[in-house]
Order: sequence, then C-alpha cells, then structure tokens
Amino acid sequence: MNRDLRFTALKKTPFHSRTSLASRTNKYYNWNGFTVPTEYSTTELEYTAARNGTSVMDLTPMCKYMIYGSDANRFVDYLVTRDLSQMEDNTVAYIIWCNEDGKVMDDGTIFKFSNTKFMLCCAVKIYNWLHDSAEGFDVSCEDATDTTAALAIQGPTSCSTLKNYGADDLELLKPFGMKQYNINGYDVLISRTGFTGDLGYELWTDPANAENMWDSIMEAGKELKIRPFGMHALEMTRIEAGFIQTNTDFMAAEDSLRPVRMRSPYEIGMGWLVHLNKESYFVGKRALKKEKETGNSERCLVGLDIDGDKPAVGSVIYNEKKEDIGIVTAAMWSPTMKRNVALASLKRPYGIKIKENIFAEIYHPEELEYKKIWAKCKVVKRQFFSPERRNKVPADLYE
Amino acid sequence: MSDNYDVIVIGAGHNGLVCANILAKKNRKVLICEARENCGGLLEESITNFVPQIPLSVSSSLGGLPVKYKAKSSIALSESGQHIRLVGNQHIDHKVISGFSSKDADRYVEFHDKMSSFSKALGSFMMASPPRIMNNTFSDYFKLFKLGMNVRMLGKKKFNEFARMIGLNIADELEDNFENTLLQGLIAHDAVLGSNLGPRSPGSLINLLFRMATHDNSIFGGIYEIDGGSKAFVDTLLDISNKNKVEIKTSSSVKRCITENDKAVGVELHNGEKIYAKKIISNADPRSTYFSLLGTENLDTDVKRRIKHHRSKGKVAKLSLSLNKQPEFINCDKDDLESRMVIAPSIDYIEEAFNPSKFDKLSMEPILEMKLKNSDQSNPALDIQVQYASYGAQEGWGNIKDNYVDAVIKLIEKYAPDIQSCIETKAIVTPDDIEKNFHVTGGHWHHGEIQIDQLFMLRPIPGASQYRTHLDGLYMCGAGTHPGGGLTGIPGRNAAQAILEDA
Repeated sequence: MNRDLRFTALKKTPFHSRTSLASRTNKYYNWNGFTVPTEYSTTELEYTAARNGTSVMDLTPMCKYMIYGSDANRFVDYLVTRDLSQMEDNTVAYIIWCNEDGKVMDDGTIFKFSNTKFMLCCAVKIYNWLHDSAEGFDVSCEDATDTTAALAIQGPTSCSTLKNYGADDLELLKPFGMKQYNINGYDVLISRTGFTGDLGYELWTDPANAENMWDSIMEAGKELKIRPFGMHALEMTRIEAGFIQTNTDFMAAEDSLRPVRMRSPYEIGMGWLVHLNKESYFVGKRALKKEKETGNSERCLVGLDIDGDKPAVGSVIYNEKKEDIGIVTAAMWSPTMKRNVALASLKRPYGIKIKENIFAEIYHPEELEYKKIWAKCKVVKRQFFSPERRNKVPADLYE
Repeated sequence: MSDNYDVIVIGAGHNGLVCANILAKKNRKVLICEARENCGGLLEESITNFVPQIPLSVSSSLGGLPVKYKAKSSIALSESGQHIRLVGNQHIDHKVISGFSSKDADRYVEFHDKMSSFSKALGSFMMASPPRIMNNTFSDYFKLFKLGMNVRMLGKKKFNEFARMIGLNIADELEDNFENTLLQGLIAHDAVLGSNLGPRSPGSLINLLFRMATHDNSIFGGIYEIDGGSKAFVDTLLDISNKNKVEIKTSSSVKRCITENDKAVGVELHNGEKIYAKKIISNADPRSTYFSLLGTENLDTDVKRRIKHHRSKGKVAKLSLSLNKQPEFINCDKDDLESRMVIAPSIDYIEEAFNPSKFDKLSMEPILEMKLKNSDQSNPALDIQVQYASYGAQEGWGNIKDNYVDAVIKLIEKYAPDIQSCIETKAIVTPDDIEKNFHVTGGHWHHGEIQIDQLFMLRPIPGASQYRTHLDGLYMCGAGTHPGGGLTGIPGRNAAQAILEDA
C-alpha cells in the first residue's frame, strides 16, 4: 500500500459526480476525509429551500458503524447514557456517549434493526472506542462509512418529493421511525431524521445506487422547489433548531487537550439523555451519578435571544459587572424567526439561575472596520425553530 | 437481604489471610472463600523458595506471627568451581570478593551502600498505601511530597544519582562497577528475578531497588527460608485465623460479585450459593478481579483498556526434583549447599536466556535459583526456580515440558555431574500451570510486573491504587496491589487499613 499521504487526494463520495455538477461556486471542504461542497450556489438560497421546499445534502462522510451480535442490544445500552433497553425495532434514537469521567465524547443517532443489529451514526471516528468497549460482549463492530451512501432530504415538501421518488406511504412514518424500501430495483432505508429541525428524512443505500438515487430524487422534486444544499446552509438550520455540534458547541472529550474543556452532558444541555436509573451500567455512569448528586456541573449551554440584528459570532458574554461569564459557540440572524439568536456556553449560575442582565460584546465587521456593539441578551429555550409540521403524522403533502 | 458477614475475602492466599485476620481482630465477622481445597494460594506448593521476612508492622498488626526464618547466603555457581558466596555482611563479603578482585570488593561495598540508601528512601513508602493522584486531596499530595523529600534529603549528589538510575538497566550499572562477570551475573539475577526483563532492559534497576526495599534494604542479607517451609507459614496463619474466628470456606470458587445500586453487596459461588456482606475483598489478581468478579459490563471502557494492558505474563517455573542421595556439586562444601545456589554466570548469559522469552519462546539454557532440601536426610530434594520459562510459550508447554525439564537437568549437570543418577522423580509447575491451578492470570508471581508503569499509585492501574476498585464496596488485597508480591503481607495489611478507614 502506498503510505505516502502527501499526494493522496481526499475521498469522493458516491454522489460526487452529481454534487460537483451542481456546484456553481466550486467551494469544497474536508469533512471526515471526503471532499464535499460547503455551498452550491448561495447559502441564503439553499437555506430558503430547506425552509420552504426540499433540500438535498450528501451525508456520506458521516461516520457510520454497524453493530452485530447476540449482545448488540445490551452493548449499545452499555455504550450510551440513554436507556435503550426498551427501544423498538425499526426506530432511531438520538444519543450521546461519555468517557469514564462522564465527559461527552460525541452525539449521534442509533438505528435499531433488531436486537442483534444496529447502526450508529456520528461525527467523530470511534471505531477503536467501539472495539475496546465491546470487550466482554458478544458483538462485532464494522466501519460502514465507505460502504453506505447517505442523503439527507429535508424541508416541508420533502415527504412529497420522496413519495414521487417511490416511497409509498412515507407520510405515515413517525418521527424517529425508519422503513426499508425497494425503489428502482434497489434497497433504500428511509428514516425520518435530520439536522434541520424541520420535516425531513435521511436515506441510506449501497454506494452503487447513489447516482440513480440522486437523479431520481432531483427529478421527483422538480416541481417542489428542490435544491442541493451545503454545509453552510445546514449550519444555519441546525442553529435555528438548537442542535449542538461536536467540537463547535463543546469539545469532544477525546479531542480536547485541556481537561477543563471537557463537558459533561449536564453542561451542554443533554442531561435529559442521561438515564441514571437505567438498571445496567453504562460508560461514565459512576462519574455522572456523582456529578448529579453533588451538583458540581460548572457550565451550561443555553439559547440566547440577542438585541439588534448583528450576529454575535464568537462573542464573549458578560454580566452587568462586565465579568466574563461565557462565550457564544454559534450565532446567526435567523431569517425565518426574524430574531438574533445564539448558542452560548455559560458559567453557572448564569444561564440556570441568573437569566437576566447578560450582555454580548459583538464585533460586527463593516468593510475592514469593526463596529463594537454591546447587546443585551435573554436566556431562552435553545430550540428556536420547531414548526408543527416537524412531528406531524401523517406528514404534510404538496402537489 | 441480610448482611451475614461484615467482610468476605475472596481467596485464601497469604495476603487474603493477613487481611482477614486484621479485620477479624477489629471485631469484623469475616468469611474467606477459597476456590482450591487448601489455603495458602501460591505458598502452598512452595512456588517461591526464598522470601523476605514479614515486616514488623505486619506481624504486629496480627498480634505477632510465630514464624521462624533462617537467613540464607547466596552462592553464584561457576562451571570452573570458582564460586562466589555472599552472606550479606559487608566485611565478610568484601573479603570474599577480594579473592577475585580487590577493586570489585571496594566497589561492591560502595554499590551496596548506595543502593541501600536508595531503598531506604523508598522504604516508608513501601509499607503504606500509595497516594492516589486522581483524588486531588491534600494528604495524597503530602505523601508524594514526602517521598520526594526523602529522596531529596539524600543530598544533591545522591539525588542526581537516584534520578539517573531510575530508568537505568542493571547491566550498565554493574559493568560500570565490576569486572568479575560471576558477581555481575549474581546481582543481575536478583534484579530480573520474577520479572519480564533482561539485565539490559531499561527499568531492571528499579526492580532490584524494589526488591531490596522489602528485603531489609540489602541485596544479599534479606534472603530467608521459612523454618518448616511455607506449609509452616500457612499453618501459622490458619491457626491465627482459627483464634480470630475467621470462617474459611474451601472448594468455594466465586463466580462473580453481586452488586446492588452499583455497590458490591455479596458474592455468588459457582455452585449458585449467594453470600452477602458489607464489604468484599479480592485477593485475586487485578485482571480476574475486574473482568470476572466485577464483570466487563460494569466497567468503563477506559478501565477495561487499562486492565487489558496490565502486564502479567509469568516467567518463572518451579521444578522440583526428589533425590535418592545428595548430589555432588563441584567444589561445594556443606555451607555452600545450604545456601541459595544461583546459576547465572554472567550478564550476557542471562541476556541470552532472556532473548527467546521476548518472543514467548523458551531458552534451553535458562537461569536457575536452587535450594537443596533435607540435605542431611535420606530423601533430599532440589527445588529450582527456572527463570524465562515463558507463560504461553510458543512451543506449547504440553509438547515441550519433558524436553525442557531435561534441558534444565543437563544444565545442572555442569555443576553437579552426578545429578542424573540421584533423581527419583521430577515435577514442574509452569506459569501456565500456575494460572490454571491457582487462578492467577498469566501465572505471574506478583500478579503483575513490578515495573515503573505498574508501581506505587499506578499499581495495579491508575484509579484503583489504594486497594479500592472502581466498584464501591469491592477492594483488592493481593500482590497485584502496592507494593507487590514477595510474601510480605503488606498488601493484605494495607488493604485491611483502607477498609477500616472507609467503615
């Protein structure tokens, strides 16, 4: 094998022939070793499609792991903080997992096919972690990142688009449900999941079917305002939805060099995913139990509603005495909500007990000059955008 | 659920017995579950021949331990008959070595003094429970500070010397000091004995220091034989147990630790019987304790990793030869035969013997430590420690055992030409046998290598170094904990103290 990586190109996803044709800007970035567009045309246009029509995103670079074996159910329950012992077949669950100190390593989704077969999707590579955690369990783990093509189809008209594509009765699929289809002669797994906080689906298939899938869906959505969208537009939608992103809103425990940067689930608003009363042990349980009992969580991750219309990107947050109490991890002007919103990591008790008199120092760039703005913030629910159609069953259909 | 006992000790090795008795003396109701028919663990078949004396602190916490020791001298056998016998007295040893090299004799005294002062600096640290750096408590930092001070108080020059020597290999140090290869071989033998190191492996020097710290701070003065053999030792401990009303259940192999709300509350035996107690103490090795008793499904991934990486491949086999008459060792008088006899004629010889063991293979010319028993009676016996008899040897112990025994005897023949004609029976206990028969992972004497990555607060693994495991209510008292094996009872006593502190 040629071990000289200096001249090794980034991998292309199975959709590359299509995404590269769709790109009008030639803007790409490295996502987990794959080259994928950050933007096809303009981010604003793509964002608008996601909120008003159908948006299509190449998800293939996501880390995907298959977990097989007679202990698979017990193993995933041990791996993550959430109680998955009663999880039903053909459903998906949002999960986080921690290290022994109860610090979050990553978040992701787990797909249950049966008690003996699961798929785990996440941002950070964890094959070694899975392998070492599996000691003592009858399971085998397999990295399926390169062998599974994945596409996110999101937006209000996404269900109609996919029905046109051939996914019959898709409107009946519940949120976090999944269903196996055979469309155009190949198998496609469709799950009602996504990262935009809107009605949306994710499609999983063999890479060989990728191009046909892309072409057929683009055709199916022709009249439904379909448009490919890149990472920048996704970033906008996920902030509106209040979803957190590893290594943006918090440092993955295994990636942070400084122990003080590691965050427990309680410190990133994920306490609801920690089931300490779960009967069996899970990784980090002892540490999390201690943290819960002593209440010594130091930070919190909150939503901020900020005065004015200048996004508080990277802003430092202060109290009324101008003491530094935290930092904005993600911020934007939300076109849909017409609000200036942000996610911020604050030092407790700010954000938990003290929600008023919090200020952001915003540096707004104006043609090579910075305008410094002192903006008042209000701590609000992190989920800024959550339309009714997101969880509606049957899902909305459009002609 | 009722607490039938205050404490259940899993395993009746000597540390388990020591721990159980100290707790029983403090009015705890103690039960020992032993998997084997007999108590004593590795002591039972005299796996080790020569031992340090039980420290005063241990015997006094047992209310005295009436065990008699016989001090032993050490003799390095030479094929030429020019043996070196050292007794641990500097004047006598100086005289003996002068017969070979007057330079070596002076250097020996210097070397001995230097090593003794270092091992003394480690001394108090060896007897107490090590600090737990993950705890961030003042007393733990103070302990660490005290060790640092102990070493620093040796003076700047010695401190520098100590720092230089910590990671050093014993061969370099010996070659810098001595010209007699037999003397080099003898000291190097003691540095690598029971470990997975050769004389040229980094860290072999600290192994010697550690050994000295439990052996009266002396290289050859701290070697003893228990009067009446290890059976006498076990019997004494059992007598005391009887007096202290420690219950012992033999042939009761524990399957797992019963947990409730993530706390150890009892044990389940392999026959299905469940016994409950407030505290559970494991005398088993760390890997068995964590993977079998605690169970992999109750461990964090990071802990699993540490336990999996815990090094515990045994390298010593025990060969017992029963003889019909006393063999004639070349140029050895009665005192010589009473001594601990070592066949490790040079550093290079030991290193050659070590080389195959790096690949889990066996050397047909291993290093030997021998003890002649009942020399004045009609049924003498020769007990032999065979070093670098690798655990899980590639050749397969099942196939090669007989050849290996023959090779060892052939080696002894060079020093005692008539040994073949004296042998009645021969029996070997390999590290694989130790693992199987005594339930010690890897068949390692010390339940884990005595190496810098597995010492002090890193022994057996970070986060479990103060005799407490990751599970509340489950403790460890075996050789796998600080300060390690070697028939001192210190781990057992320290564990008992940790339990009393928590109560």
